[in-house]
Amino acid sequence: MRKVLVIAVRDYLATVRTKGFIISLALMPILMSGGYLAQILLGGEIDVRERHFAVVDRSPGGELAELLRKESDERNRTGPVDPQTGKPQPPFTIEVVPPGADGSTEGRKRQRFQLSERVRNQELYGFMEILPEVFDVPKSPPADPAEAAARLAQEEAPLRYQSNHPLDDLFPKWADKLVNEGVQRRRLDRADITARTVATVKGILTPVRFDSKDLARKDPKTGDIVDSPEENRMLSIMAPFGLLVLMFMIVMVGATPLMQGVVEEKMLRIAEVLLGSVRPFQLMLGKLLGTVGVSLTLVAVYLGGAYLLAQKYGYAEHLPLAVVSWFLAYQVLSVILYGSLFIAIGAACTDMKEAQSLMWPVMVLAVLPMMVGFVVIKEPNSSFATWASFFPPATPMLMMARQAVPPGIAIWQPVLGIVLMLLATLVCVYAAGRIFRVGILMQGKGAKVGEIVRWVIRG
Amino acid sequence: MHAVEIEQVTKTFGSHTAVDDLSLTVPAGSIYGFIGPNGSGKTTTLRMIMRILHPDRGTIRILGESTLGAATDRVGYLPEERGLYKQMKVRDVLRFYAELKGVRRGRAAIDDWLARFDLAEWANKKVEALSKGMAQKVQFIATVIHRPELVLLDEPFSGLDPVNSEVLCEAVLELRSQGATVIFSTHDMAMAEKLCDFIFMIYQGRKVLDGTLQSIRDTYGSDTLRVRLEGNGAALNGLPGVLKVADFGQWKELRLQRDADAQAVLAALLPRGRVTHFELSQPSLHDIFVRIARPLTLPSSPEGERVGWGGARP
Repeated sequence: MRKVLVIAVRDYLATVRTKGFIISLALMPILMSGGYLAQILLGGEIDVRERHFAVVDRSPGGELAELLRKESDERNRTGPVDPQTGKPQPPFTIEVVPPGADGSTEGRKRQRFQLSERVRNQELYGFMEILPEVFDVPKSPPADPAEAAARLAQEEAPLRYQSNHPLDDLFPKWADKLVNEGVQRRRLDRADITARTVATVKGILTPVRFDSKDLARKDPKTGDIVDSPEENRMLSIMAPFGLLVLMFMIVMVGATPLMQGVVEEKMLRIAEVLLGSVRPFQLMLGKLLGTVGVSLTLVAVYLGGAYLLAQKYGYAEHLPLAVVSWFLAYQVLSVILYGSLFIAIGAACTDMKEAQSLMWPVMVLAVLPMMVGFVVIKEPNSSFATWASFFPPATPMLMMARQAVPPGIAIWQPVLGIVLMLLATLVCVYAAGRIFRVGILMQGKGAKVGEIVRWVIRG
Repeated sequence: MHAVEIEQVTKTFGSHTAVDDLSLTVPAGSIYGFIGPNGSGKTTTLRMIMRILHPDRGTIRILGESTLGAATDRVGYLPEERGLYKQMKVRDVLRFYAELKGVRRGRAAIDDWLARFDLAEWANKKVEALSKGMAQKVQFIATVIHRPELVLLDEPFSGLDPVNSEVLCEAVLELRSQGATVIFSTHDMAMAEKLCDFIFMIYQGRKVLDGTLQSIRDTYGSDTLRVRLEGNGAALNGLPGVLKVADFGQWKELRLQRDADAQAVLAALLPRGRVTHFELSQPSLHDIFVRIARPLTLPSSPEGERVGWGGARP
């Protein structure tokens, strides 16, 4: 056991003392939140060069196209900005294209193609087409949703926009609103409804305001019963998600260097010297212990920091001590489980390149729980979430996330999860030990999958 | 007491037999040299003694122990290729290996060894900064830092300059004077002749020589003539009773048939030039090695070649 500890300490220091580790310790949270920050900071940034659009108005009178042209001139004159953020927006110029002489379906299609070609040639950014039926009041849709959908699919929409910028909705939204206002005015006129009636009806039809809140609680100072602050709702999602991401990160940062370490020891023939002093299984155990140490260091920094902050700023209920303790148990087991897999891969390969191509199945095992994480957090008690969280490689991430979503889950579930993980971890360590024993001294060529399986079965 | 007892050990890798029915006894307190061509089974034998590999058949007892791992802390092993963590400092790597062998406070011993090998100023440098020879010396210190009773050195002299070879040589002799048993493999025959109490040669997995240098040479008899003639390039073909002529530049080595008469050779040489050196001697270890390991390139004399095979032990 003393020798195992000597190896564990060396491995631990070899990882923790590197500049890379210290830098990634500091950078990881920045990188993780960096994407989110960048979106906030740069989200409003758009291309403000002038955009040129064509409008074909087939409606009687063609007044809607004119309306758009006038409004765009007005918009350009005042300097177009986003009304919410105040950030500048591109000016629109509108070319009113008269409908072709051939108003038949074929004729319309031909005109659409011509305009599409102009968009492809970058003469236009996009084009809008208003059909003659635009002012007709639609018949109320059938009660049966399937029938309603069928009818919608048959009929052509009276207002259409075509472009090759599918994600950009700046112009279509702006134009849609203006056209609809114009259409509404005309329809009201036609139905002979007065402005006053319109105002009354509008008031009547305004939807009832609806608010979704967190649970009520007593203010610790005044004893008054108050609503929880709005950000609490976000936090009850953030905590499980954060724990899930942290678990994934720790497995990746903590366990993957094991593979690198084993390949290095093989390539530099260090393994041979070590095996002159310790048995292969002791060597592997020492390395796993060292990695558990590394992962605990990461947890102490991140989770410890988060816990203290939560205590200090009154969010303690989102990160209870029980959840933190479970996290530690899962994290130790998952580092050993994934670590032994990475050690086995390292021992079976002769260089990093080979090891990297062999590691993807393990990576998939680790990434899958991340991918379904959101679904599981949203519905932590669905049968999918429950079953998935009993799959040992996914247990640390998914069970943890489910436990962190209020009000938590029945206690037998994490207990069973831990027992299953313990068994899986023992199996992995046993199999990895057998692969390690043979592989660590192999030089020259990597092992084939068949050989690795044989080592596990026959030793 | 024997330091190592190997009994009828066989080790195969797939279809390749690396060590074939090998028996060998290494007396305690001796220096035992392992020689043999590349790929003949030296390293496999050393690894089996270290229990890094396990024999398919046969038994190996080390320092009286046959159980796995019981004697590891009493053994030091220097593998053929350097096994040092590149990113660690020299002192740290030595402390690590010392601790692995159960040495708790090894700092003084480490400093002593570093000073002795002229490495004191490198103690706090990273291993990757060392030259090959320096790394070799560090590896040697790591091997002996825990004062092992049995030291296994796989090609310890490769990559060392003559000065460092000398220092290492002295260290090996000192280990023996302190009572340790030293087994080392080498391709340097002169070093083996100089250092070893016993020589063991393995060829294609089988033992072909085992004994003291003198007993091995005695088996071959005095069949070698060292000759120097004035005027280089004189042809030495067609001499009576000479099997093979090896040109070493400064002198030529003539191998005689079993019953050849050295005087007759001298008589045949005299008309060809002025003989400045004529010496009848036993073959060198180098010569014996080559005779065994390259029998096919020699002139045809099957009887002569068999001398070296199998039954060489007196």
